[in-house]
Amino acid sequence: MPGVRLDGIVKKYGAVQVVHGIDLVVEEGEFVVLVGPSGCGKSTTLRMIAGLEDISGGSLTIDERVMNSVAPKDRDVAMVFQNYALYPHLNVADNIAFGLRIRKESKDKIASAVEEVAGILGLTPYLERRPADLSGGQRQRVAMGRAIVRRPKVFLFDEPLSNLDAKLRTQMRAEIKRLHNRLGATSIYVTHDQVEAMTLADRIVVMHDGRIEQIGSPMDLFLNPANTFVAGFLGSPPMNMFTATVVAGPNGPVAEFHGQSLELPNLDALEIGSEITLGVRPEFVQLNDDPNAPGVKVDVDLVETLGSEALIHATLNGSPFVIRTETISRAPSNAAQQSFTIAPELLRIFDVETGVALPGQEVAVPENAA
Amino acid sequence: MSDATGPNQENGEGLVAHLIDHFKKEWQLYVMLLPTIAWLVVFLYKPMYGLQIAFKDYSIFRGISGSPWVGFEHFETLFQSEQFIRALKNTVIISFYTLIFGFPVPIFLALMFNEVLNRWFKKTSQTIVYLPHFISSVIIAGIVMTAFSPSAGIINTFLGWFGVEPIYFLTKPEWFRPIFIGTGIWQEAGFQSIVYLAAIAGVSPTLYESAVVDGASRWQMMWKITLPSILPTIIIMLIIRIGNILEVSFEMIILLYQPATYETADVVNTFIYRQGIQGGQYDLAAAAGLFNAVVAFVLVISANTISKRFSRTSLW
Repeated sequence: MPGVRLDGIVKKYGAVQVVHGIDLVVEEGEFVVLVGPSGCGKSTTLRMIAGLEDISGGSLTIDERVMNSVAPKDRDVAMVFQNYALYPHLNVADNIAFGLRIRKESKDKIASAVEEVAGILGLTPYLERRPADLSGGQRQRVAMGRAIVRRPKVFLFDEPLSNLDAKLRTQMRAEIKRLHNRLGATSIYVTHDQVEAMTLADRIVVMHDGRIEQIGSPMDLFLNPANTFVAGFLGSPPMNMFTATVVAGPNGPVAEFHGQSLELPNLDALEIGSEITLGVRPEFVQLNDDPNAPGVKVDVDLVETLGSEALIHATLNGSPFVIRTETISRAPSNAAQQSFTIAPELLRIFDVETGVALPGQEVAVPENAA
Repeated sequence: MSDATGPNQENGEGLVAHLIDHFKKEWQLYVMLLPTIAWLVVFLYKPMYGLQIAFKDYSIFRGISGSPWVGFEHFETLFQSEQFIRALKNTVIISFYTLIFGFPVPIFLALMFNEVLNRWFKKTSQTIVYLPHFISSVIIAGIVMTAFSPSAGIINTFLGWFGVEPIYFLTKPEWFRPIFIGTGIWQEAGFQSIVYLAAIAGVSPTLYESAVVDGASRWQMMWKITLPSILPTIIIMLIIRIGNILEVSFEMIILLYQPATYETADVVNTFIYRQGIQGGQYDLAAAAGLFNAVVAFVLVISANTISKRFSRTSLW
């Protein structure tokens, strides 16, 4: 059963249209992440779902009820904000209880609900403290407590971890996931951080310029990006992309670029002599032990060792090319030139003009990774 | 024998070196600070030298240093003077009522302005309530006198419609305080609301958005978010106000009072004016002024300490 349904949702500010007809169905209990660069319309979409922005066109349905003109309080949604939105004059318990007090719930109900939520979020020792006396992570937990205490049908998260440092963000990410697994509520989460999107989402919605570029599971989007935007946005480092010409080879089509070549998968859509954009994920590259071995040659510029893995920043015919390699079993070489190969089925081929992935090259997503 | 290079001296030298270093780096800021320091010295600290005449039998011809000391004689005279006790009592009563009735008005005005959604109406009404602040006290007093005039005043005309005989408001002691306090509120409440409007503008909009999603009405948001959020500003303004509690608007009293209303209108500042400037008793007036300042100092310290202890907000 759909928890939230967006049909052709449009948002205009005067003559400027910022969201261009979004269609999205979020199933009940699903965790969907809207991801995209700043200004792509993801927060605006979330705020329209919350009722904080008017909907200029299309229809929003929550729990099979059209919500376009329904007041935010009657949509049965709760929202967690980027800057926590905690009331500085109230202590943790009163912040959590705020929504229930506004709805004039009984004192006993409020007390037991606050106690339960504080227990779930590990906030029991801090109930008497004010937000100013809490760490960033604790404040974020209070913000989540405020949301979950009302047991709403839909949780909306607007970049809730952006104000936290990297270590705390990793911790809180796991806590949000655990909380969702425990509560099983429909959740829509906005972020520009692709790591958050990949780790939290049941499905990711990639947005760009007020439009949806692709919807799918994290691994599906990683393995089968629909276009060059998604390919370049998801993945860290992003997919390497360069232009090549399709030529006929002894075993099938081959991509030729500046005197080098790579075997391509046999796709019906490939035309000999046409130009393509070739996408190579940094982690799918197989480095050859011998830099002079046959394969694509890149000029190494810099090796960044990150611990268990390293990033080799190189150039391929003058364009940047990044390779991710592990360091434990095979230390990255400092050679000025490296050679690599890649399995044809792991290449991603895009139309050079539209940027859309050519059909017939979908990689099956491993079952346990979907 | 004391150690000349002990830790305190080292700390002192360190502080001086730090200050010199800071001055070299940020000399522009210190230059910008100079006019304010000069103003403070010339107008606030240097006049303190003259305070000593409160303890002297001051004569213009003998000067401050040449006048003989008389200890607390002037203070004894003051507290034996029925006029001063009356002025002190009136000051406290007028200040108290001004605080009780006048202090909340700008807060309510700011809260109301914040709730007005129509921009044209908001700007127009704000301009109307700010306007009296920019009018000279003399003109304000003229307006008040005209409004309360027994022959052609709007108030008496209005009362006349209901068969009420004209009332000589400004000559009746019982009417002086309400008229004075009301005039003060009318003149200053709008302008004072700017401070609170600025504080309201600083409240994070997400607090309201979060409350909207939680189901709060505008009324609930005003009471549960806006008002508590500007409470630190309210407390700071209250402390400042308490510090000035004995500083009743001197010009307005002078303009509105007359011997018939001295009973309720004469305050410490008008007493000082009459005794000191008109009567030439500068030493007695200085004693009254010093008393005023000491009371204000004690009040502001007390208010700040109480506020710090109970609300975490304080002026320093």
